[in-house]
Amino acid sequence: MMAMKTSDEQFKERVEKNLNDSFMRGAISAAQARFQTRRQARVEELGNWEEWRAHGEEIRKHVLENLDAYLYELSENVEKRGGHVFFAKTKEEASDYIKNIATQKQAKKIVKSKSMVTEEINLNAELEEIGCKVVETDLAEFILQLNDHEPPSHIIVPSLHKNRRQIREIFAKAGYDKSEQPEEMALFARKTLRQEYLTADIGITGCNFAIAESGTVTLVTNEGNADLVSALPKTQIVVMGMERIVPTFEEMEVLVSLLTRSSVGQRLTSYVTLLTGPKGEYETDGPEEFHLVIVDNGRSKILGSEFQPILQCIRCAACVNVCPVYRHVGGHTYGSIYSGPIGAVLSPLLGGYEDFKELPYASSLCGACTEVCPVKIPLHQLLHLHRQKIVEQEGKAPISERLIMKAFGLGASSSPLFNVAAKVASPIMSPFARDDKITSGPGPLKAWTEVRDFPAPNKESFRHWMKQRQKGEKS
Amino acid sequence: MTIQNRDEFLNQIAKSLGRPVKTKVERPVWKHAPQLEVLKNASQDELVEVLKQQCQNIHTTFVQTDTANLPNVLQQVVTDFGGESVITWNDERFEKFGVKKLMEIWPETGIKVYEWNPDTPKENIRQAEQANIGITISEMTLAESATAMLCSHPKRGRAMNFLPQNMIVLIPKSTIVPRMTQAAQKIHQQIEKGQQLPSCILFMSGPSNSADIESVLIVGVHGPVNATYIVIEDQ
Amino acid sequence: MKVSLFVTCLVDMFQGNVGKATVELLERLGCEIDFPTSQVCCGQPAYNSGYVVESKGSMKNMIKAFEHAEYVVTPSGSCAYMFKEYPHIFKGDPEWEQKAQCLADKTFELTDFIVNVLKIENVGARLKGKATYHTSCHMTRLLGVKDAPIRLLKNVEGLEYVELLGKERCCGFGGTFSVKMGNISGEMVDEKVRNIEETGADILVGADAGCLMNIGGRISRTGKPIRVMHIAEVLNSR
Repeated sequence: MMAMKTSDEQFKERVEKNLNDSFMRGAISAAQARFQTRRQARVEELGNWEEWRAHGEEIRKHVLENLDAYLYELSENVEKRGGHVFFAKTKEEASDYIKNIATQKQAKKIVKSKSMVTEEINLNAELEEIGCKVVETDLAEFILQLNDHEPPSHIIVPSLHKNRRQIREIFAKAGYDKSEQPEEMALFARKTLRQEYLTADIGITGCNFAIAESGTVTLVTNEGNADLVSALPKTQIVVMGMERIVPTFEEMEVLVSLLTRSSVGQRLTSYVTLLTGPKGEYETDGPEEFHLVIVDNGRSKILGSEFQPILQCIRCAACVNVCPVYRHVGGHTYGSIYSGPIGAVLSPLLGGYEDFKELPYASSLCGACTEVCPVKIPLHQLLHLHRQKIVEQEGKAPISERLIMKAFGLGASSSPLFNVAAKVASPIMSPFARDDKITSGPGPLKAWTEVRDFPAPNKESFRHWMKQRQKGEKS
Repeated sequence: MTIQNRDEFLNQIAKSLGRPVKTKVERPVWKHAPQLEVLKNASQDELVEVLKQQCQNIHTTFVQTDTANLPNVLQQVVTDFGGESVITWNDERFEKFGVKKLMEIWPETGIKVYEWNPDTPKENIRQAEQANIGITISEMTLAESATAMLCSHPKRGRAMNFLPQNMIVLIPKSTIVPRMTQAAQKIHQQIEKGQQLPSCILFMSGPSNSADIESVLIVGVHGPVNATYIVIEDQ
Repeated sequence: MKVSLFVTCLVDMFQGNVGKATVELLERLGCEIDFPTSQVCCGQPAYNSGYVVESKGSMKNMIKAFEHAEYVVTPSGSCAYMFKEYPHIFKGDPEWEQKAQCLADKTFELTDFIVNVLKIENVGARLKGKATYHTSCHMTRLLGVKDAPIRLLKNVEGLEYVELLGKERCCGFGGTFSVKMGNISGEMVDEKVRNIEETGADILVGADAGCLMNIGGRISRTGKPIRVMHIAEVLNSR
């Protein structure tokens, strides 16, 4: 298992397995309800949410169109404040640079706060390979890490699929012997991790938004772990996807508002932390050395393409929280660290169709994702665009499907042909029909009739009735 | 201080965008500005009310007092948190608000007091880690989200906002603004004037929390478990 | 007022009653019905599966079929939305873009047409029962028709309206999604039917043949005593 890809199983197997996980499904539908209610309240109280979305969109679009200029400005300002900037084209370049720092510092222990991009570049495994102990400090990530590095199932709450009993068992591996009360387990994590912060050599965080005008990194959290990760170790490394940037504090503020309301339904999270360079000359805490690693890893291929809007994403997971497909299959079915609608669009772009070609079809194109996106990414249209690419350019669609669609193209373009089809449909289907319904259909209908009946074709098509009726009127 | 691989990286971006590399761009005049509408014409008293209401949502105790009564109120809050040990910033504003004297007599009543010391980095962390209570002062306060803005400084450490069990933030009423918009505007103006930003600006809204276990809200994870805001009538 | 009926291929082949009800309802409201017989399918099944080239033939056929029409009305929000997408699909095509725009501009979903063009909110229907309504995704989110069907339903004499929990959540139809991802779709429709059952309604109303075929198929399989009706059938009840 490497980086983006989290499973070697076939997509169909993953679906099957997860549909049978009733705890996970109960947890997700309950969480979706809570997320949606809270988000709705925070959105409605503003009274002009559509204008907020329009503002979010215009900021993100402008930044993407001028990304080189803003990254230039950002790097200049980080350097002015005494920080180092490393531009990494690939995930290997990014992790090599970070490994080099760890080696130079003779780092034994590294504390981390939650970051999707470090998952993407497979950073933990890379650092462990050179002998570093890497400690995830976000409560959910801490749980998954203790559970043999289980992949995240949600981009905001990576352990959404786990229940308290399972978490207690996982904690037992680290010596926990108390109850399965969430508060008690959180206290255990607090005590365990306190010692880790205080003794770590390097702290690694992600970056919600970098601010070009000042070289500042914005971290948005509720637990406070990112702050301890960045305040206590002597060396801080920030890893960011290259598109996560805003011009000034003013745009940062707008996007943070959109993010916290959309993701967790809060006006602001408990902590919004703005870090500029290493600690000041006479300050006694904060890092002595500050590194910013800016990662491309396939993003520049998306830039300038029809898929560019996906780079507007601010990783709020509102689309995940409303998705009716994610609701049933959960995050692990996607086989990628990015799940839900955002994952179904982004994973094939960053990881290729070979591994992720089913994801664009794991959607009913209901558009719920597009409706909630705070920066107006047309998610369902991008899923459709993937399907188009898979059919037209990649030739990856099954042959049987291509034949059916060809036949459709002919049949549906001409009414005489359709009339014939409509006429023969009823007799052809009649062996399968009982009481005007089909309970066990042939071919593609099989999947349908597993759980529901299919109507038998009308014995008299509507058009025939209409024709008779119009004749009757005339006579 | 190094910047590595920048040219090649930016060239690739420009190539994708189908134009030559740009290193400068004018920030546009935005079509929308919904953030300016929030609590637009609210008076200072109305903002206090918004802040007070929001404190309930973020599990934070709200107390309001005038300067004269502040020592009594602060004493009460510290007592409610169980006293024991207090860590504070090294901040002349404590004197201005008339609580410096109170802090000086705490050791006599059995409450240990430690003041952040720019000369003893290790001791600062050790003390902060063991302190029962941390006391800080908000630079700017956001009514909408009940948020205190805390800036790092040699005499005001950043770890102090996270390590103690309980947090007390003094909030001068004059520092209250509608929302983060006004704080961001002010910081942006400072940058434009060429002023140096603190290495850490923290917007803190109540105690730390997590909903990572079965979506149950747990208040107090890595950071403080409890928080109290004391709004001071300073105008 | 002359109305050209776009009946949709699903209704034509599987749900003739919906077509009949639509015709009778519109006539009762004073419309003269024209039925262009060269119409087939809007192309959505192929289009949504990514077969854009294959779907364009059927789209052109539809553009031609309705070229003469003054108003095009259809008992399906999803198919109406497909017509609205045509100009986008034929963008830059000198021969078809303009024609596609014309078709899009004169196309209306049935309830939208009744409420916003005919300006009628009470069609004089009578039906006894307790009904709940599933809001189809394409109709509400993409086409933007939200209030019209509810307003019409609330004015049906004898009909008690109860809101459906999670009414805006997809039923799992999604065209070819329902066969391509049959098991996921099956779980979605199962939850939808459970939610419908919880309302205590004895009639489930919808405005899209695809969703109704899906939900109805599940209700039929589980043997629940819930009648599935297209809104045209409800509004045509007297």
